Amino acid sequence: MIELGVLHIIIPILIVVCALLVAIFKDLIAAVISLAAMSLLLALEFYLLQAPDVAIAEAGVGATITVAIYILAIRATRRE
Amino acid sequence: MRKIAIAVSLSIFIAFLIATAFLIHPFGYPPSEMDDYIIENTQSETGANNAVTAVVFDYRGFDTLGEATILFTAVTGVVMLFRAKKKREK
Amino acid sequence: MMSKIVRTMASLLILFALIYGLYIIMHGHLTPGGGFQGGAVVASGVALLIVAFGSDNIHKSLKEHHLSILESSGALIFIGLAFGGLAIVFFYNFLVGSSIFGHIPPSGPNTGDIWTAGVIPFMNIAVGLKVLAGLSAILLVMALATTVMEVEE
Repeated sequence: MIELGVLHIIIPILIVVCALLVAIFKDLIAAVISLAAMSLLLALEFYLLQAPDVAIAEAGVGATITVAIYILAIRATRRE
Repeated sequence: MRKIAIAVSLSIFIAFLIATAFLIHPFGYPPSEMDDYIIENTQSETGANNAVTAVVFDYRGFDTLGEATILFTAVTGVVMLFRAKKKREK
Repeated sequence: MMSKIVRTMASLLILFALIYGLYIIMHGHLTPGGGFQGGAVVASGVALLIVAFGSDNIHKSLKEHHLSILESSGALIFIGLAFGGLAIVFFYNFLVGSSIFGHIPPSGPNTGDIWTAGVIPFMNIAVGLKVLAGLSAILLVMALATTVMEVEE
């Protein structure tokens, strides 16, 4: 069982890593998947900070609706 | 010259961020009377066990009304934009 | 339209997504969650359906003007409930203590009773209806518009 204080250090670092990967990836679909991973980790961090309402909203809107809208928008573009 | 100005302003900004991170108050430190009042009286006044929902829909109902208006405007704009585009391309 | 494996799994998983979202909406005054969160969960289920079955097949049974009617009725119910307490103050909780959702729970941690909280469950249902219809309408209209562009190329 990992101690809670260690999780409070690991998860923000993973959030920053995912946010950097969004900017680094050249492939747009990979960047959007990384954004979804960042949203899920952010929801986990909200849950660990004892805010389950915000965690449900973040997991519902950030990890699914936003990703679906981004992928629909990417599908409408074409590669030159 | 421009790069030096950007570097100086960015380092000042980062210094302020780090100073703020060390000066931040502990969790729930400046004790306010409003949240104590809400935590004590939510169940007897509104009857809801979930204090967050009681604040969102009862004590701060106007903010929820604004949020609903924002969502309504966004949906109206998106539906109007894409419906016009679909009809034109047919 | 995706492969048969994806379609079968989506038609199984949509049940759990819908039940979880409606549970969050209905129990918003007892457990964490509420109208906005539950509506977002139901709309993510609709997004799963759109991805798995294709937007044209979904559009046969889910029209966007029906969704706009649902969204407008949710907003009207919300504002009407807010006006219901106008005898004292706007957004007054006028159903506490009455015979509809009027029980008052004991103070402190308790197991919870669904017949409590006055006007809050109705507002949860109204906002949940509004959010699920609005987000589903956005997703459906955007998916339809992008497929039209794809066919033209």
